[in-house]
Amino acid sequence: MHIVVLVKPVPDPASGGERLGPDGRLDRAAVPAVVNGNDEYALEAALKLTAAGPEGSSVTLLSMAPGSAPETMRKALAMGAARGVHVTDPALAGSCAVSTARVLAAALGAMAFDLVLAGVDTSDGVGGTIPAAVAAHLGLPLLSYATRIEPDEPAGSVRVRRISATGYDLLEAPMPAVISCTQALGEPRYPSLKGIMGARSKEIVTRSLGDIGLDPSSVGGGVATTQVLGSTVPPRRGATEVVRGTAQEGAARIIELLTQRRII
Amino acid sequence: MTETNTSPSPYRLTPEQELLRETVRVIADARVAPRAAEIDRTAEFPNDLRELLAKQDILALPFPVELGGVGGDLLSVCLAVEQLSRACATTGLILAGQALSSLPLLLAGSPEQQARWIPRLASGEWLIAFALTEAEAGSDAAAARTMAARDGDDYVITGSKRFITHGSVADLITIFAVTDPAAPRHRRLSCFIVEVPAAGFSVDRLEHKMGLRGSPTAELAFDAVRVPAANRIGEEGDGFGIAMRTFDRSRPGIAAQAVGIAQGALDVAIAYARQRRQFGQRVGDFQMVGAMLADMDARTEAARQLLYKACVEIEAGAPEASRWAAMCKLVAGDTAMQVTTDAVQVLGGYGYIDDFPVERMMRDAKITQIYEGTQQIQRLVIARALLGRDG
Amino acid sequence: MGAIWVVGEPGTDGRLAKLSTEVATLARELGASAGRTVTGIVVAAEPAAAAAELAEYVPRVLSITDPRAGDHTWSTIAAAVIAGLLESGETEAPELTLMGASADGRDLAGFVSALCGLGVLTNATSVAWGQAGVVVEMSAFGGKLQTTSGFTGGGGIVTVRPSVVTAAPAASAGTVETREPVSDEPLRPVKVVERVSEAGPAAAIEEARIIVSGGRGVGGPDGFHLVGELAGVLGGAVGASRAAVDSGWINYSQQIGQTGKIVRPELYLALGISGAIQHKVGMQAAGTIVAVNRDPDAPIAEFADLLVVGDLFEVGGALLEQLRARPSAPPS
Repeated sequence: MHIVVLVKPVPDPASGGERLGPDGRLDRAAVPAVVNGNDEYALEAALKLTAAGPEGSSVTLLSMAPGSAPETMRKALAMGAARGVHVTDPALAGSCAVSTARVLAAALGAMAFDLVLAGVDTSDGVGGTIPAAVAAHLGLPLLSYATRIEPDEPAGSVRVRRISATGYDLLEAPMPAVISCTQALGEPRYPSLKGIMGARSKEIVTRSLGDIGLDPSSVGGGVATTQVLGSTVPPRRGATEVVRGTAQEGAARIIELLTQRRII
Repeated sequence: MTETNTSPSPYRLTPEQELLRETVRVIADARVAPRAAEIDRTAEFPNDLRELLAKQDILALPFPVELGGVGGDLLSVCLAVEQLSRACATTGLILAGQALSSLPLLLAGSPEQQARWIPRLASGEWLIAFALTEAEAGSDAAAARTMAARDGDDYVITGSKRFITHGSVADLITIFAVTDPAAPRHRRLSCFIVEVPAAGFSVDRLEHKMGLRGSPTAELAFDAVRVPAANRIGEEGDGFGIAMRTFDRSRPGIAAQAVGIAQGALDVAIAYARQRRQFGQRVGDFQMVGAMLADMDARTEAARQLLYKACVEIEAGAPEASRWAAMCKLVAGDTAMQVTTDAVQVLGGYGYIDDFPVERMMRDAKITQIYEGTQQIQRLVIARALLGRDG
Repeated sequence: MGAIWVVGEPGTDGRLAKLSTEVATLARELGASAGRTVTGIVVAAEPAAAAAELAEYVPRVLSITDPRAGDHTWSTIAAAVIAGLLESGETEAPELTLMGASADGRDLAGFVSALCGLGVLTNATSVAWGQAGVVVEMSAFGGKLQTTSGFTGGGGIVTVRPSVVTAAPAASAGTVETREPVSDEPLRPVKVVERVSEAGPAAAIEEARIIVSGGRGVGGPDGFHLVGELAGVLGGAVGASRAAVDSGWINYSQQIGQTGKIVRPELYLALGISGAIQHKVGMQAAGTIVAVNRDPDAPIAEFADLLVVGDLFEVGGALLEQLRARPSAPPS
């Protein structure tokens, strides 16, 4: 079982300092990068699947990101991924979702895998279109919003529970396939300290656009389909009223507020 | 093409150390911090957290890779102790205690002895305690009275040890006992590993302490406990020297605990000063409170940097290892006490009650000025390094 | 002048999803303000009911029957049909294609974007005309920034968040035309082996006016009894934070936050929820946020309207008691 997990470095959501530069692109120097949270859930699922798979099963990370991505990938390697592939190219700055999907698909085209796993969306843009777009480019089935993944290697197929409004849909498709992963798959593990010490010796292969067979003029900021026109920091809500006291007093204040605001 | 190893400025943590610190920080916040108040209240040893540290290889940090460890250097061990102690000093001491109590075995044990005991210490299956102090031999360790009498291929150990961290939960005891009462002071002691339970060994009592309440501090009784000579670490008479070399590497661990406690209290004080409003403004915006926070931050960072530097110097075999170890423990212990006391002050009445963790941190901080050599002993060590011995 | 298309997503019962009625209302308003034609598209195994419903909102609806949509994932089938329509040239090519930012809508947007090379702007909180085409407002970085974006040329796809506009039918219903799906199949349909309903807290949280939500502080599945009782007496739905869902205390369907649901109720009552950024993004648009939490420093203290510091069971119990003791008045 070979699984590729798409991992995106995103600004640390806990840092609070995210901002856009004058060019409308993320100011990457302003905040530390971390692996996108949902991608860590995908990685956890992949690690469990390969641990249960036959001898020699492994997880490979794939990132399309600027040069600092290997530092971010290190944690994912420490969690147990075997190796990383880092697609980076000066031409990729300012890529839109169309380019990103094309590049990831081109990189995947040169890799061998049974499954591609990715988080359902990323914490920076929260677009959530990349898994489907990658599947479309590769001509592979997409099993999205997975809450459970059950591959059947002898049959060469995979079953996925996909969240639905009322419960779940049970999907089935032949492998290889693309799966987008939700947090219902289970909390990501902490990297073990042995994993951390071993991560440095794991290989992160860097690929340029030329390496994956793409013309640099066909992707990236120069052909972006969307552009950021401006950004604002949303107004803070009014000051929070803090009530300490007995439970009865607290409850009474809640009812008073809800009545004032005609909610009840 | 593979990743090029861009060498960072040497005065920074390595990427591994950064990731290690971050990983332990996350674990401490998510798993340790929520337990800290309960551990303090019940004064029960947190076996669940000991198992968590074992599962995450955190207890394997001080041990060599060949023996099942992670092969972390002294600074890496201290980074982990600091992060755990930020959330719960008792939990930080599980790692610090495991590391320091293993030092005689790591520094002076034979390859056979290390292969025999270390894998199960690295896996966290076993805990180990360090038994030097006696009721009448505290700072004056060489005055120990516990005897180890040679009897054929065995030694017979008789006496008692007091203030022994983890003494009641350990599976191995590193004990220092007198093998030659007639020898010069510094050649009287030898070091042994005792596997417990053992015939004649008992835990006589557990102390009721001001702080570190979840960490059992035991009085241990040895009534003719028989130990094979193969369990002696080093030669007869090496004990005092082994203990002193241990302190060069164990004191930074306690300094790390102290820095962690200080940072934990500072974090609480900052959050409170941002949220609490009096006279229509955040209390942190009052200059007197803001200045306290600034001093607390600067002191904590100064203690931390001295600790990190001491670790690097000691690891590099600096001739003044004892001085570095004593200095970082001295500064960090005093910093922890001052910063936690100030944190209580910043929180005012809320700091004095157990709705907030700073009163616990203040009680926990006090021990870092006392154990692993009192602050007075640290000054003695530093002064001796400066002046040399008379004659 | 480019047309506007709006994709109607079939709901579970064969009717139109509520989100699609909102997006259709938005599409009609955008069309009216700039003189664009607006066309609705419904792809389903049995599209008639949803198509008729969509025609209440827009002047013209293409109803496309694809029997495979019955037992395959909808987004794959719909994407193939829509990409076919876009490339056939048979219908006026749109400048804008709107769809809901639901799970299916995002998959659909990704497929169509890749198949047709169209730009996509996601999770719109507002769509309006600017000087050079459409201007889409989105929230980025968990709500810490609001960005406005546009397409560099030729328009594209926009997915629209729930509750951005209030659904309102048009003055007169539009027409429904039936179409055949195009035959080529660029995507791999994925078989739905089984659709499983899981009994859970009944009310759908996306549509609730009041949400009572529980987090890690609730402590276990039993704790959700109180959450449910409060929701019951307030006439609201039960929500949950990721911590509660991950712990298995409540179904994922009730999760609010980054990858759960995004809600915009009039009242959000958060019990034992710290308000981490991942949760905040899902509920910060609520009209009034009331939190009960033991920790006065919890992040939710920064953006709630009212924070009651205390034990959620004590405060929640008292609240339940006082709500029940009130003279019954019809909800305003």
